[in-house]
Amino acid sequence: MTAAPIVQIRALTKIFLQGEINVTALDSIDLSIESGEFLTLMGPSGSGKSTLLHIIAGIDRPTRGECIVQDRNIAALNESDLADWRNQNVGFVFQTFNLIPVLTAYENVELPLLLTQLSGKERRHLVTTALEMVGLDDRMKHLPKQLSGGQEQRVAIARALVTDPKLVVADEPTGNLDSHSANEVLDILRTLSRDAGKTVIMVTHDPKAAAYGSRTIHLEKGELVPN
Amino acid sequence: MFSLFKYHLRSVLVRWRSTLATILGLALVIAVFILVQSLAAGIEKSSSNTGDPRNLLVTRQGALAETTSVITRDQFNIIRYLPGVARDATNQPIASGDVLIIINLPRNNGTGNANVMVRGIAPTGRALRPQASLVEGRWFAPGKREAVASRRLAGRMANLQVGQTFKTGGVELTVVGIFDGQRSAFDSELWIDADEARSAFDRPDYSSLLLRPESDEALLQLKKHLEGERRLKVKAVREVDYYKEQTRTAGPIKWLGNGLAIVMSIGALFAAMNTLYASVGARTREIGTLRVLGFRRRSILLGFLLEGAMLSGIGGILGCLLALPMHGYSTGTLGWETFTEVVFDFQITPLLAAKGIAFAIIVGLIGSFLPALRAARLPVISSLKAA
Amino acid sequence: MTIPGFIVKNALRNKRRAALCVLSVAASLFLLVSLLVVLNEFTNPPEDVGASLRIAVRNKVSLATPLPVRQRPLIAKIPGVEAITALSFFGGKYKGEENTMFAQFAMDPEQLELVFGEAKLPREQLEAWIANRTSCIIGVDTAKRYNVKIGDKFQLIGQIYPVDLDLTVVGIYKGTTDDRNVFFHQKLLDELTGDLGQVGMWWIKARSPEEVPGVIDRINAAFTNTSAEVLAETERAFQLSFVSMWANIKVLISSICSVVVFALILVSASTMSMAIRERMRELSVLKALGFRRHELFAFILAESFGLAAVGFLLGAGGAWLLYSSVNAPTLTGGMFPTLDVTPRILAFSALVAAVLGVVSSLAPALAVTRMSVVDGLKTLD
Repeated sequence: MTAAPIVQIRALTKIFLQGEINVTALDSIDLSIESGEFLTLMGPSGSGKSTLLHIIAGIDRPTRGECIVQDRNIAALNESDLADWRNQNVGFVFQTFNLIPVLTAYENVELPLLLTQLSGKERRHLVTTALEMVGLDDRMKHLPKQLSGGQEQRVAIARALVTDPKLVVADEPTGNLDSHSANEVLDILRTLSRDAGKTVIMVTHDPKAAAYGSRTIHLEKGELVPN
Repeated sequence: MFSLFKYHLRSVLVRWRSTLATILGLALVIAVFILVQSLAAGIEKSSSNTGDPRNLLVTRQGALAETTSVITRDQFNIIRYLPGVARDATNQPIASGDVLIIINLPRNNGTGNANVMVRGIAPTGRALRPQASLVEGRWFAPGKREAVASRRLAGRMANLQVGQTFKTGGVELTVVGIFDGQRSAFDSELWIDADEARSAFDRPDYSSLLLRPESDEALLQLKKHLEGERRLKVKAVREVDYYKEQTRTAGPIKWLGNGLAIVMSIGALFAAMNTLYASVGARTREIGTLRVLGFRRRSILLGFLLEGAMLSGIGGILGCLLALPMHGYSTGTLGWETFTEVVFDFQITPLLAAKGIAFAIIVGLIGSFLPALRAARLPVISSLKAA
Repeated sequence: MTIPGFIVKNALRNKRRAALCVLSVAASLFLLVSLLVVLNEFTNPPEDVGASLRIAVRNKVSLATPLPVRQRPLIAKIPGVEAITALSFFGGKYKGEENTMFAQFAMDPEQLELVFGEAKLPREQLEAWIANRTSCIIGVDTAKRYNVKIGDKFQLIGQIYPVDLDLTVVGIYKGTTDDRNVFFHQKLLDELTGDLGQVGMWWIKARSPEEVPGVIDRINAAFTNTSAEVLAETERAFQLSFVSMWANIKVLISSICSVVVFALILVSASTMSMAIRERMRELSVLKALGFRRHELFAFILAESFGLAAVGFLLGAGGAWLLYSSVNAPTLTGGMFPTLDVTPRILAFSALVAAVLGVVSSLAPALAVTRMSVVDGLKTLD
């Protein structure tokens, strides 16, 4: 943890318009995340934890404030640069896995690589490596519906990893899993930050899951709760 | 059942975009169906609306229409003095020999020429056809090369307004009046004096003979007598029956209307099925809930069928409304019997509208059957778990 | 996996829906092609070989008014006229038929080769026809339809003329655009009707195409201010004058065509965009993975284009296969001798399909533009 923080958030505010009423989801948040951390975000529903994660991952935009990831203020990027940036720098893991049902495990993992210039051979190597990492190299030809929930989530993690992003964000990755599968998934995420040097940011409301992280931040009503 | 109906009504409104598109699509199918059929209905109405049941029309045996019939002067004189033919105040038989000539005239919209039926008619003939009443100008005077056109024909052909002249067969005729045939076949005709027609178009003979028998029994007797008389070789039918037969043109139009409706509705059927399948898919959890609440499979099935019928019923009604502005709109086409322009109206009858709506509902029921079956067969537990 | 592979897999994801989409497009395009074919038959009667040399002469009053036979020598003398034949439309009914859909004409048999050279008839059959006043030749389509062979009797009941014909078939011809017509001797018709000295029309062959306009003018001028003024026009113009009598039917069919196209676009576009809208969540996953907006547009467009294209292949291709394999006169009750799916018609329906593809991708494309990834991920259906 010598270099500058990978994520630096300053005075970040997000206001939603719900009907006629403005709802402040994030209220002037300051936060920095070091490279290689496994940060868990906790908080009750509506606390703004998912919004924060979405902004860091570049799928949502703040109303005010800066979100600097790897020395770039992603809040200032245009739509299509942001898409490129996501493709190269962020790996996503969702609560509901969000695998494409018509594609096999292998093809789902390969999907982000379709945006790159890599050759078929290179792609095969990367996909296989990612699937090996999550221990599913024997399930490549399976469709999502032929996999268990835990396996599906591991495929989703492999998909998040295949582009070798610095940042892996996970939104309630264990929310739909039994405890055994959940532990497997959390193990993988911990390994990523510990051994592969990835920065992992995970939203959860399960304290047991949060315990896997190297640091935990609590949010409440859009504000950070001091530990 | 009624509460379910409400449920379906509201559900339909949730996916209003695709629902609206389906309804509109079906409405267009029904509008086309009704419009095409209303053409056929218009032809049939104009045919069935023509003539007087007390009149007897005599034509040549084997002739399909008055235009191809020939009644010689001898035949004319034999027939009109037959017993049973009514006499007028001056004791003359009420019988009129008509000359029918097809002439080629330009349309007034520049789309080329059309064949027009010219009827050479005597004063008695006009009296026998009270349906044609003068609405503008005056009747023609014999020997002055004058003509009277039907209002509808005058609206379609060039130079047929009062005061205008047109040339045909080496004669120039002046239009001196306009008559209204009251939506009968006479609306497609141009009338001139009978004797003038014979001289101008070099016709020694008449085409047909219209007479008024003394009574209905006399009519039947005359008909029997005329058709039994081998030397005459004529056919005698009630004037109304003759025109009722003149609907061959309507046949292919009906055929076209049905064919169009069937193919179009197949297309609409697939689209409706898609909408309803999507609707079932999106409401999987709701259906599961209904089942848990105690609704039977049958109610679910009926409910979705009802939904389909309701949607398509609306489409059908909308289709009728779309077609309705065309009601009464005058148009024309080539008549198959006479090979002349037949002028008639779009006739959207209540029966036709009902047929259209019924047709729409049938399409809706067929289209919703498979999706409804799928909804009814959803397993309760897994549908509850559906996202 | 490739991007096109991905699109195909996606499109076929809900096979039932894809099939229904394609089928509804196919049904509508089939209808569109059918209507256009009918419209084309109405508008463009097939052109005969040698038609450019032929001139039709009818009474100026109308087709139903006959011409005096005394005109023949006068016309024959007009410079540029190579051959002339009477041609009288008999319009009879065959046997007990209600509607007879083939035409019968009285003409001068000796002139057949000169005026209607494209009619292929073996020499001995032609000679037999010329020699026998009560014989006729029939087109191969009519021969097939009624299973009539050479030597058979052929009876026609007159409708326009008050006479019936009892003819013997001595020849079967083919090679014209309408191989259904029946030809018999004008002399026979004259005899039976009591030598009225009238014929229906004159058909003339000009010596060369360049002379046609001059010949037409000279014929028209020759009978001006006589009791039987004539209207001479090229065969093509004559056919088109028939067509113009159908004007309203044409308008009717073309307006139905436009309604069909509109309904098709409406319904199919809604179904297709529904199919894509239901995948909003997946599209936002793709967006989260770094796919750009225009790449998502391309996916959507490719998918709706693909569905429309398959619908086109099935519908228009099906119509093409159907109409080129069926016997058109039988199918249409003899109304149309052919049902031609022309390249123009195919091109037009392909264009409609393409427009359909674009239009149906509009709504989802717009939704994708508006969609934020976060909202998209929340969309559950």
